[in-house]
Amino acid sequence: MKYLSEYHDAAIARRLVDEIASASSRRHVLMEVCGGQTHTIVRQGLDELLRDAVEMIHGPGCPVCVTPLEQMDRALHLAARPDVIFTSFGDMLRVPGSTTDLFGVRARGGEVRVVYSPLDALEIARLHPDREVVFFAVGFETTAPANAMAVLQARARRVPNFSMLVSHVTVPPAMVAILEAPDSRVEGFLAAGHVCTVMGWTEYEPLAARYRVPIVVTGFEPIDILEGVLMAVRQLEQGRHEVENEYVRSVRRDGNRAARAAVARVFTLVDRNWRGIGPIPNSGLALRQEFAAFDAERKFRLSDIRADEPNVCRAGEVLRGQLKPPQCPAFGRECIPEHPLGAPMVSYEGACAAYHNYRRHRAASGRHV
Amino acid sequence: MCLGIPGKIVETHDHDGLAMGTVDFGGVRREVCLAYVADDVAIGDYAIVHVGFAISKVDEAAARRALQLLEEMSQLDELDWIAEAERNVRGPEQEVG
Repeated sequence: MKYLSEYHDAAIARRLVDEIASASSRRHVLMEVCGGQTHTIVRQGLDELLRDAVEMIHGPGCPVCVTPLEQMDRALHLAARPDVIFTSFGDMLRVPGSTTDLFGVRARGGEVRVVYSPLDALEIARLHPDREVVFFAVGFETTAPANAMAVLQARARRVPNFSMLVSHVTVPPAMVAILEAPDSRVEGFLAAGHVCTVMGWTEYEPLAARYRVPIVVTGFEPIDILEGVLMAVRQLEQGRHEVENEYVRSVRRDGNRAARAAVARVFTLVDRNWRGIGPIPNSGLALRQEFAAFDAERKFRLSDIRADEPNVCRAGEVLRGQLKPPQCPAFGRECIPEHPLGAPMVSYEGACAAYHNYRRHRAASGRHV
Repeated sequence: MCLGIPGKIVETHDHDGLAMGTVDFGGVRREVCLAYVADDVAIGDYAIVHVGFAISKVDEAAARRALQLLEEMSQLDELDWIAEAERNVRGPEQEVG
């Protein structure tokens, strides 16, 4: 484990930690939305440095982690079809479905190919006109512009054997769901810098006003996170609840307009299930009716595939910020990154994987920040 | 897939009307779609790239720092996907093992 003292910005970080401590008249509860931020916080031990001033709750911002079980089962069903080449980002292959994962389907003869870009999947479809090529379109607003463009290109280049299994989710409705939960303790948010690079922050302004919570658009580097925390703490201490932007080197208020326009043209808002959290209204993106020919759910009539989540995995409580990963009885025992019971143990953006990578030997070695 | 990887645009071209380019991610080169930043970037600029799409321009210092940090944090899985995808677009028969 690497500690902050080894980090080249250690002096700045220590100054920010001191500023946060002296700015705090009481302990505040903040949630970081982005899984990349969670990774930084756990790896660098920022939550422990801030312990007296701030409790960091890890949010649901990991697209791998919140992909619902039934959508995984639909992916596994498609991948097993002999007429299908199933394409996916690499981090979805170990996500457990009800009975197996995509690696398992591949081992039994299903054709599953990792791609880097959705345009790779489109190229595979163009090269294999005799096969159906399905792309697993997952992610938050950061991957939606890429997936939207792949659909636009599939239509423009007339590639009828290309389709997408869409499981997109959007961040603001999840923040609403967290704030509306009766047991919510969250007083302020660090919003996800790269999501806001695409979308800007106008969507967050009504949330900050309505729920009276500070929302600070924040990057994922350690100094970014400490600066974001300081900005949120100052707002709480001063009784303000505004959207502020820490990540000025990347984020503009309107985001990336061309990317937003493509997303709006291809996708429409739908209710979506979040793994471990349940249905959240208007929290997902689905293909608009005019792109139905590229919608794998309609093309392959998948709506009958339903699944209930198993009880042993407590990912839902982790994703809602109610449980820290080491408090789960399965953590590090039945559930490890090589054999995950739930998705937060799969992706490096997942809270369980972050704790497993950086904290599991803590008790044994006695090391501390 | 949410963090994106910073890279340097080393070449630009047009593919059926779509702005594309080659981006160098610390030595790994890959074709990337530039449609969403086409008005902002030129050869030599740095951009944050999400799953093959440049989303925002960044300055060189920020790009180098972010790439180094991603490397330290072992969060460059996407660079592995690039290599795997290059084999996979041509076909699984190219895979070894």
